[in-house]
Amino acid sequence: MTKLAVVEVKLLTREPGAIFALLIPLFILVVFGSSIPPGDTVLLPTAVAIAVAMVGLYLLPTTLATYRERGILRRMSTTPVRPANLLAVQVALQSVLALTTCALLIAVAGTVLDAHLPTAVGTVAVTLLLGTAAMFAVGLLIAALARNGRTANGVGVLLYFPMAYLAGLMQPTSQMPPLLARIGEYTPLGAFRQSMHQVWADTTPNPVLLAILVAYAVAISAVAARFFRWE
Amino acid sequence: MRHRTRILKGMAVIEVTDLRKRYGDLTVLDGVSFTVEQGEIFGILGPNGAGKTTAVECVQGLRRPDGGTIRVLGLDPAEHRRTLCEQVGVQLQDTRLPDNLKVWEALDLYASFYPRPADWRQLLEQCGLHDRRDTRFGKLSGGQKQRLFIALALVGNPRVAFLDELTTGLDPQARRTTWALIEQIRTTGVTVVLVSHFMDEVEELCDRAAIVDRGRIVALDTPAGIVDAIDADHAMRFTLTAGDPADLAALPGVSRVTRTGDRVVVTGRGDFATTVTAALARHHMPVSDLRIDKRTLDDAFVALTGRPLDPQESRS
Repeated sequence: MTKLAVVEVKLLTREPGAIFALLIPLFILVVFGSSIPPGDTVLLPTAVAIAVAMVGLYLLPTTLATYRERGILRRMSTTPVRPANLLAVQVALQSVLALTTCALLIAVAGTVLDAHLPTAVGTVAVTLLLGTAAMFAVGLLIAALARNGRTANGVGVLLYFPMAYLAGLMQPTSQMPPLLARIGEYTPLGAFRQSMHQVWADTTPNPVLLAILVAYAVAISAVAARFFRWE
Repeated sequence: MRHRTRILKGMAVIEVTDLRKRYGDLTVLDGVSFTVEQGEIFGILGPNGAGKTTAVECVQGLRRPDGGTIRVLGLDPAEHRRTLCEQVGVQLQDTRLPDNLKVWEALDLYASFYPRPADWRQLLEQCGLHDRRDTRFGKLSGGQKQRLFIALALVGNPRVAFLDELTTGLDPQARRTTWALIEQIRTTGVTVVLVSHFMDEVEELCDRAAIVDRGRIVALDTPAGIVDAIDADHAMRFTLTAGDPADLAALPGVSRVTRTGDRVVVTGRGDFATTVTAALARHHMPVSDLRIDKRTLDDAFVALTGRPLDPQESRS
């Protein structure tokens, strides 16, 4: 298991996609961050949501679908180590990547950009974890249904833009048609962005939003597990 | 073609009896039985879609058969897959590794999956990949990839290794190198099951082979035995400068004599070639450019099934 984790870490660092998943949100943060007022509470939660969504929707499903497409999961099922271990290592590793990116974003925003940092660290952690779980569940579903790595990647891209729009990551929700903004609140990414925003504004996140995240995480993972094929 | 003295003969490593498997309306395996003995290289040979891979996957425990019994090292693979995984090495058709994985990392990783792995550094040497130790999988040539997969199949120190379509897509040079590697494995005493649709490969490497066609075994013997058993004409050709070859047609075993200029083709079956050469010598008929067409497993396949093996896939 340890060796498997070490090898997967090495592979992740050699994967350009992983570097992009780290750099793109950082780029967005820095570009838009130059014009934010001190103590801003909007940009950073937005960048964090983008970072988690990119890992969950692109990187995780593409990696897993490629592993299946290449017969790596199947090959592993002929060894004493079950391929489920590889899946677990990947999910853990990609979570670490997503959370590392978030930490980096927060560090940059807090020091260089002078953005507001929330005081309730525990609430931040819980909200971040629930949001990551919901986005990863979507990623696992893509991995379960996509025929190969390329399809998974394409589906990830296709899902990302509408989800990001509905979540209010493209433009403030106040400028969106009210109906779409309303729908957006109940999408996984929308609920995540909104609850992060509330945490950042030092208010308690709406429990309904957190419950929505939990529901998405559980339900979508269950569907993904039901349809996941090892070969 | 070779017959190896089987020192450890008598101990069955794999026993398959009346194996059956259907996918919907399609019967893939229709009563397949064979036994693989300790230390032998056993070939499973047949065209694409004959059911070879399905048979092997049932033996590996990757698929559950609809009927029949399988014993691998005395155990039922469907029930004891985990135990058998430790003693069975596998090279699967159409698998790849992550492009960015280095050769040594792959070996080191797969070695860590097994309780008593082989020394992968030694395997690296054996498979001729020592100078590719730090090369990434995506940068390896087809032959090198295949040799790495063989190494991975052996890295767990298995008692049985399955090698599926080992040389498909390789150039002749790389095939030869791969064959040499299999010859080497033979000396280590590992039992090898080789799945192939290349007759020459099986002829070259296997102690015994089963020819599978449409879900059934149509022949099971040593490659030479399979070839000898077929009852079909083959030809001898020579240049005859003097004399009339027509008399040769009366010799036992000869079925036809044709002459084009001084070029003569005699077809027949059994040991007719010896009879013909003896007769030519007796009658002081000088021949040159004598050639006897060697019968191969390809001919055996045609004789057994009535059609050639993968005509589109013929290689030079």
